[in-house]
Amino acid sequence: MNEASPINPMVAASGRQVAAAHARPASDVPATGPVRTGGAAVGSAIGTPVLEVVHLEKVYGARGNVTRALEDVSFTVSRGEFVGIMGASGSGKSTLLNCVSTIDSATSGSVVVNGADVTRMKAAKLAKFRREQLGFIFQDSNLLDTLTARENIALPLTIARVPAREVSVRVEDVAMRLNISAVLDKYPYQMSGGQQQRVAAARALVTDPALIMADEPTGALDSKNARLLLESFETMNRQYQATVLMVTHDSFAASYTNRVLFIRDGKIFTELRRGDSPRRAFFDRIMEVVAMMGGEGSDAL
Amino acid sequence: MLCKLAWGNVRRAGKDYLVYLLTLTLAVTVFYAFNTISVQAGIVLEEEGLPELLGGIMSGLTMFLAVVMGFLMVYANGFIMKRRKKEFGLYQVLGMSRGQVSRIMALETAIVSGAALVLGIAAGVGISQLMTFFTASLFKTQIRDFHFFFSTQALMLTVGCLVAIFLVTLVFNLGVVRRAKVIDLMSASRKNESIKTRNPIVSAALFVLGVAMIGIAYYRLLRDGLPVDAAPSEYDAAFAQFAITTGIVVAGTILFFFGLSGSLLRALQSMRSLYWRGLNMFTMRQLAAKVNTVSFSMAVISMILFLAITSVTGGMSIANVMNTSVERSVIADYSRAVIYYGQDMLNEPGLAQEREQEGYPVAKLPEQPVDILVESAKNTVDPHGDAARPFDLASILGKHVQIDVYDSRPVGEELPSVSLNVLADAVDMPLPKGTNSSDANMMGLMVTSESAYNRYLDFRGMDRIDLGEDGYLILSDLGESVNKIYDADLSRGVTIELGGRTLRPAAESVNADASSLFNSSMGSNSGTVVVPDEVLDAQPLPLYASYFLGDYKPGLSYEETEGYVRQDRSWGDILNADGTESAIWGMEATRDQSYESTNSMNGLISYLAIYIGFVLVVACAAILTIQQLSAVADSGKNYRILSELGTSRREIMRSVLAQQAVFFIFPLVMGVAHALVALKVVIDIVALFGGLSIGGTVGVTCAIFLLCYGGYFLVTFLMSKGMVDDAIRARHGH
Repeated sequence: MNEASPINPMVAASGRQVAAAHARPASDVPATGPVRTGGAAVGSAIGTPVLEVVHLEKVYGARGNVTRALEDVSFTVSRGEFVGIMGASGSGKSTLLNCVSTIDSATSGSVVVNGADVTRMKAAKLAKFRREQLGFIFQDSNLLDTLTARENIALPLTIARVPAREVSVRVEDVAMRLNISAVLDKYPYQMSGGQQQRVAAARALVTDPALIMADEPTGALDSKNARLLLESFETMNRQYQATVLMVTHDSFAASYTNRVLFIRDGKIFTELRRGDSPRRAFFDRIMEVVAMMGGEGSDAL
Repeated sequence: MLCKLAWGNVRRAGKDYLVYLLTLTLAVTVFYAFNTISVQAGIVLEEEGLPELLGGIMSGLTMFLAVVMGFLMVYANGFIMKRRKKEFGLYQVLGMSRGQVSRIMALETAIVSGAALVLGIAAGVGISQLMTFFTASLFKTQIRDFHFFFSTQALMLTVGCLVAIFLVTLVFNLGVVRRAKVIDLMSASRKNESIKTRNPIVSAALFVLGVAMIGIAYYRLLRDGLPVDAAPSEYDAAFAQFAITTGIVVAGTILFFFGLSGSLLRALQSMRSLYWRGLNMFTMRQLAAKVNTVSFSMAVISMILFLAITSVTGGMSIANVMNTSVERSVIADYSRAVIYYGQDMLNEPGLAQEREQEGYPVAKLPEQPVDILVESAKNTVDPHGDAARPFDLASILGKHVQIDVYDSRPVGEELPSVSLNVLADAVDMPLPKGTNSSDANMMGLMVTSESAYNRYLDFRGMDRIDLGEDGYLILSDLGESVNKIYDADLSRGVTIELGGRTLRPAAESVNADASSLFNSSMGSNSGTVVVPDEVLDAQPLPLYASYFLGDYKPGLSYEETEGYVRQDRSWGDILNADGTESAIWGMEATRDQSYESTNSMNGLISYLAIYIGFVLVVACAAILTIQQLSAVADSGKNYRILSELGTSRREIMRSVLAQQAVFFIFPLVMGVAHALVALKVVIDIVALFGGLSIGGTVGVTCAIFLLCYGGYFLVTFLMSKGMVDDAIRARHGH
């Protein structure tokens, strides 16, 4: 592999069976185990880590009734990567996303985004951090229903006090790239679900964040709109060098990414790299892992 | 089981129920406290009857206000119901019958109402003790013997009102549960109010139209005044005009609020750097979305606030005027008047016949003034008792004086020699509001002689005047609006013709402090010309009235003076020597009586004003609070999104504050604006009786109202803060 994670405590795990892999770091997965990963990741050319998750743990509940949602999870995402996280309901993938996105606080471990450890930030600083470094896309588009598409996209910029003239230019620009210029002056309830999601994507992208997080973005879309949205993500990733972290349980959606992390019972089960393989082939390999995770994991489909 | 569930629900839904509880508690407190007024008045007042009268008025008013409160509670409850439809749906899905669900809800309402009753009565009992002192100061008396009191009667009335409110709410709630389909209940939270945005041009047009209509209504009101001015013949027409003005202002207010959001949005959007900055556009859009749905209630609230402000300020100012004018118009320990028959009355056809049939003495014009001191002795004190005796005023009075005044319209003439409208024309001034449509004949001034007035001045311990050969003076103790006309006449040297002489002013202005001829609370002398005695000799004028003033002999007790005057007494007729009748007894008023009636009137008006105003203000504020809380609850998701986009909590709360401030302040500003214009007109009417002063009591009352309104605002904001925090924390489930 042509990249090395600076924080890689689990190097020793390489060579073991994938099924037994424990919080396998992102970078040290050469062709081991039954599932081969591909060659070099697309985004890895840029190489600098944008997100480093180290020994992350999240425990819910108190004495006697403890649920370990995340157990010692570590991985790294480099700039320009498009990473998918897959897992069944209850596997801990949403908890992971919440912890990374600073919406939830971790029990232990650290989450470093662009060099800053978010687990140690105070609430006041978090808002600023979220505003400047992160972009969000959710299953329901989470657009503000009282604002037009244009205003929704502009909102992160106006919150950051970007001058009005610049706001207008950037909104038009991102809307054009994501092919939603025609709906800019419509209200969310006047748009289709797919349009809403692309507006949400534009809103996440417009601030040029270090990391865009998408939580089941295609969950509420039909296949055509899902495809359109995922193509938008590819556009964002290729043209803007945007780093995207997408949680999904849809193998089709995952096949658009460069790399997929599989989570089971709060631990990283394995990971797949797309390399240069066509999307179709990558999809088949994802399906294989999903099938192999089997058991309660089969509902990941 | 149901009880347990209901209790749990109340505790869990405590936040939703808080507004409900708060408002109901306030209502109970106010109802109880104001209905103990008869007990309080009993503690501070000596007069019989007044406490009962007060109590009666208050309980009637309470019933009316309970109805207002009832509707408010139905509204508040609708808010709670809306939030909990899903829960009630769930109960039914789990197999509860509608009856059981209804019972849970009835229990919940009962628990909250019970809590409100206990809290409200506790607060009411405390406040009513304190209010006794306030009552004493309102009625200008001392507390005779203060003791803790509890009024069962007030309690019963309050409980009755509360039960009525409870039943009304219950009926509405049961209706909601009964009508609702389970599927609707379950999906209630998903049913989004779709956001209707109006065409901005239509909005702007509505807004401009609304402003224009309000302006026109203001203009019409200021031009026409209140219809009380009108002469009886024009009264209907004037009232119709007034009704049109009222209609215009109501429609204008509604249009104003309908167009407000759209126009405001458009205006702000045109200021690009302001609109595209921070949460400004979000705040504006939130407002616009809400104002559309609540603009009607905002208009209603501003009208109610207007009513409350006007009634309180107007009512209390009238009371204030009475207070200041009573100081000037009560001039002697004892006063009594005799009114003479005038030519108009005697010329009435059929009068003589009628009087004969009724057995009254023959009426004729007076030739000599009645000597009131002598005539009073013909009254009989305690006429039906054993100790019937003549009313011997001379025995209790020290110095005394009688002043006779004449009608300025000579016998046989059509018009008075001196009248207000001629005097007003002479100085090019309009007649004051409240007089302008009256019959010109009614505006004749009275006339009295220089010597009689000098005797009056002697009695009052004031310096005598000297009119010289052809001087005249005008006396008037009415308000500024009439007196400024007289002042203008005097200062500009307007002459009057009387007794073949041309008279010139002997002073620059009316001395209102030396003008009252009789004890009264609002002034009694609307204009009397003082002329040299020779003028009156040369021009005989018909007698109009005689006023008698006297001070009690020093050293006599209250019982010997006031007690004696107030004893049961028959007045009898005033007959001439030949058995004909030319005069009848007018009013009799002692200094104490005048003050007492002023103070009770004053207290009564103040109480009514405060009571009505308070309940109306609370009702408005509560409606706004409920609306705002429900708006925040509906927008919870939006605040969460904002937080996820990286908006700090402080900035979100600032946006919430801005939104709520608009909803609280706009209706208030509109209400105050309406009230100011209306008060301007009210002031014109009141000024007829004396200067209107927005005194201390009005200030204190308004401060209490503002505190109350602001308190609701604060509670709304704090509760919203909690709700927004919850919304931000609660990440939506997957």
